[in-house]
Order: sequence, then C-alpha cells, then structure tokens
Amino acid sequence: MKCAHYRSSLLLLAVVFFFVGSVTSAQDNKNPTIHASSIQILMAQSDEVKLPIEFQLALYENLIEQIQKTNKFQYVYRDGDPGASSNTDLVILHSNVYGFKKGSEGKRQVTTFAGATQIKVHCVFTDKTGKSEFAQDVTGNVRFVGGNLRATFDFAKKVAQIIVTNFQ
Amino acid sequence: MKIPWVFPIQLAATALLIGVGSLAAPCLAQDASTANAISFADTKEVLGLDGLKQNVTGTLVAENGSLVFTKGKKKVAVPTASITEVMTGEDTERAIGGTVGILTMFAPYGGGRFLSLFRTKIDTLAIEYVDISGGLHGAIFILKKGNAAAAKKALLSQGARTNVPAEVEAESQARPKEKQQ
Repeated sequence: MKCAHYRSSLLLLAVVFFFVGSVTSAQDNKNPTIHASSIQILMAQSDEVKLPIEFQLALYENLIEQIQKTNKFQYVYRDGDPGASSNTDLVILHSNVYGFKKGSEGKRQVTTFAGATQIKVHCVFTDKTGKSEFAQDVTGNVRFVGGNLRATFDFAKKVAQIIVTNFQ
Repeated sequence: MKIPWVFPIQLAATALLIGVGSLAAPCLAQDASTANAISFADTKEVLGLDGLKQNVTGTLVAENGSLVFTKGKKKVAVPTASITEVMTGEDTERAIGGTVGILTMFAPYGGGRFLSLFRTKIDTLAIEYVDISGGLHGAIFILKKGNAAAAKKALLSQGARTNVPAEVEAESQARPKEKQQ
C-alpha cells in the first residue's frame, strides 16, 4: 500500500518534469536569435480581406518608422529599393493581412467598449532566397483613444518589440 | 464709285483685333498652365512625407508637376510623375480634437462623451509614390469635405497615375449613400 503511494507520487513528479521540460523547450524555440545587418520591409498584402489603402500605407510607413527606431539594423530598405539586392546580410519582412475590422472612433469615445478597430497580420521574416526564418501573427488594436489608423501604429510597435527580442 | 467711309474703319478694326489676338495667345497659355495650380489650405498630413512630423497641418498645392506640402518654412515636394496611386476616401473626426479633445474625456457627467457626438466630415487622400532610389512611400492627407476629388483630379492632370479613375471612385463612394436613402 505504501509502495503504491510512493509509485504514484513518483509518476506525478515525472509528469510535472515532462511538462516543465516541454514548456522550456517551446520557449527556446520561440526565441531564436536571428542575425541580420539590414532589413527590407515589403508593402503589406491583403489577399484574404479588403483593406483600405490608407490602412495599407499606414501599416507600411509605421513599420518602417518603428523598425528604424529599434536601431537593430544598419539599413532599413523600403519596398522596391534596388540597394537591398546587393546587401548580403539581409532579412525581408513580409506582412499579410488576414483579418480587419474597421471600428468607429465616435462609438469608442461615446461607449468606451464598442467600436474597436482591429487588424490581424501574419508576419514572416525571410532571407534573400525566401527561406522563412521566423513567423508570427500580430494583432494591432485601437480600443479607446485615437483614430482608426492608430491600430496600424499599435501593430508596428508590437512588430518592433518582436524584432528587439528576436534579433541580435 | 465712292468707297464707303465705313470700310477703312472696319479694315483698321480687323487689323487691330488680329494684332491683339496674337498678343493674347501667350497670355491664354499662361493662364492654362497656372490654372492647374490648386491649393488646399488647412490640410493635415497624417503621415508619410519625409522631413515632416506626423499630423501636421499645412497647405497642399498641386503645381508645376509637383505635389507641394507647406508648413511654415518647411516645404516638401513630391513630383507627380513619381506618384503611382491616388485614392480618396471619406471619414469623420471629432469637432473638438487634439489635446483639448482628450482632456474633455475627463469632464464630469459624461460631458466629454457628449462632445464626441459632434463630428465633422472629412475627406482623405492617400498617395503612393516612388523616391529617387526606387523605394516605395505612402502618404495620407486629411482635407476638408469635398476637396479630395478635386485634389485627385489636379494631381492626375499633372502626371500622377491611378488604377481607379476619379469618376469611378466618386460613383463608388456615392452608392452606399443612395442605398441608405
């Protein structure tokens, strides 16, 4: 009877160790360290949803501004810049918008709980050959203060944070 | 046979008109070129122009093949030939904006929320352009209601390109209103 109790506690301990190990290994996979001296940011694509052009442009411009502010890269190239092709140590950021809900600034300010604007983007960092180095879904929101375009600023800030944590 | 006295006067008048007409031709040409210069005061540059901060209010002018945004002494010009897309839209913004608008949110008894109900209609103008090195840029402007279509036409007449003509865009923006009625 005592032996069975001992065995069950050992089993429980093994299960706990297994889960702790899997969580830490998952965290290790989540935080790879990528090295690149320069980045090229491509214009956000929206194949699945209809995204107004002002949101598309604001996403792109805010991304460039926020990534420049991180000071992680020597050069931040724009979409179409031929200088990027000559750079060997380059990472390319592709953004694909897969969810968009345009809220209402008026509703947000009057009700404080309705009218949120949300933009969901799948971000992929690839090398020059197109090989994926890192991918993550990022959501930009504006829930209370600010216009609808502020969701793109929120998104860009989050992407900048991802770059800070994942790039050398 | 007597020549009527009116004839020499008619001849002189015709000669004078031809002379004046030939002088007037260059003036008309000048008028046509300057007529394309259209300015939009109190335009807000939301983002996208190099050398300017975001949310700056100034004057947008389409002249001499350029889109020029002026704020005080600062002047940013984008050649219209480098503009690859021009799109317009409609939106609303708070009648009382800026820092004062934010501070009104803390007004007692929901006063700030009540003030948020007062909104002004605005037009948005989004342009996509290419810089000298080939990099893609985007800029967004907020204009007074009814000015975006005129701004788009002015830019297109000076060499900017678009995939959606101004007339088609105006029709597509008018449709939802018709449905609402």
